[in-house]
Amino acid sequence: MSIITRSPFLFRINTGSCNGCDVELATTAMIPRYDVERLGCRYTGSPKHADILLVTGPITARSKSYLVEVLDELPNPFVVVAVGTCPTSCGIFRDSYAIEGPLDKYVQVDVNVPGCPPRPQAIIDGVAKALEIWKQKIRNQK
Amino acid sequence: MSANIINFLIFPGGVFAVLFALILVSLERILVARLQGRIGPVFYQNIIDIVKLFNKETLIPKDAKDFVFKFAPLFGFSGMLVLIYFLPIPGVYSGVKGDYDLIILIYFLALPAISYIIGGGASSSPYAAISVSRELKLMLAYESAFIIIAITIALYVGDGKGVFSLKKIVDYQLQHGAFLFDWKMWPAFVAFLIVLLAALEKPPFEIAHHNDADIMDGYLIEYSGAPLALFEITSALKLLVLSIVFQIFFWPSTLSGDLFINFLWFILKTIILLGFIGITHATFASYRADQGFKFLLKVPLVLAIISLILVLLSIKGLI
Repeated sequence: MSIITRSPFLFRINTGSCNGCDVELATTAMIPRYDVERLGCRYTGSPKHADILLVTGPITARSKSYLVEVLDELPNPFVVVAVGTCPTSCGIFRDSYAIEGPLDKYVQVDVNVPGCPPRPQAIIDGVAKALEIWKQKIRNQK
Repeated sequence: MSANIINFLIFPGGVFAVLFALILVSLERILVARLQGRIGPVFYQNIIDIVKLFNKETLIPKDAKDFVFKFAPLFGFSGMLVLIYFLPIPGVYSGVKGDYDLIILIYFLALPAISYIIGGGASSSPYAAISVSRELKLMLAYESAFIIIAITIALYVGDGKGVFSLKKIVDYQLQHGAFLFDWKMWPAFVAFLIVLLAALEKPPFEIAHHNDADIMDGYLIEYSGAPLALFEITSALKLLVLSIVFQIFFWPSTLSGDLFINFLWFILKTIILLGFIGITHATFASYRADQGFKFLLKVPLVLAIISLILVLLSIKGLI
């Protein structure tokens, strides 16, 4: 059963992020030198394929409904990773009228990767930690 | 009778075909990763993906046509399984010796695309609807070129009369030399490589799905769990089928009478073709939808027709 934890599909959603963390996720994790595909990961285009959800951004009022929808569409078991300071604590946007975060209001966050933006090594480390949690979730489900 | 069942279920169809096709897809991922300076997944990555997907929850959208949505993947999957049982592998497996199997090949090769269209259409997602219309147009564009290539080969082998038996096409080339080294067939060969990329939807023709920035995952967007796994197996089997078709059409050479050496040679030829696909995947970006269709309607069709004219001239004895 542990073999299937070597095939996580990733889905990333931007909930009002400044794109700094998105650039780190979209390019840095898949360019030469830093590679999440060696952990078996693959970016998918649909939350229904995903095992690990990567959230960036402080969850603005506009993006809240989309986030809730994506969380509903994830098949069980899944793991949520908050990438960057914004989804973890809303960062400098915390007292804004347009912010409805942080992320743990809506779902139990399994891994926090702080940083603004986090280093690519930190993101890969966060994905590796998420894999361990995913493995435990699969065991608990059986 | 039992030999047929073994051929269908174990080798070359069934278990062997599925595992080999999935390993081929993983090898292509590794090749792309290495060309980009990454490490890439393990060589059995796609097998793990399939096992995982069969263990995941299957979600069915509320507005979807339930029955069609669930069973659409089976069309393409079963079509590809039958086709691998059907096709001869030069020097390894003689196939089903029919007189018109080239026509059956043309029909069955469209089945995966049709199953994508049915499944995407039943899933009630606007992204899937856009992707289905693109898939239809793409199919129209590459199928016409593929049919002209097939007719060219049939006419060449029969010396003016169409020979639609794959076994006879293979035997002709074993006697007279492979079409890959025949200058009259070179335009058709280039057209076949373009059609191959379009049929597999690898870049530069990654138009209808896996096109995350444009239409997300296209017709696969609502799928999860076991049906998604079947679609993944289908697209892997399509890669294997097209590489066998490539070897039948253009390069059916065998090394010796020994079955095992011929089998290794078959795998090597498949991997050479895979190398080509991997290099184009790593090199090219994808076309925009309209550019892709224009290119497909112009270039491979014209190249195939040039080959057809050359073959007709050579049959008349003019060149």
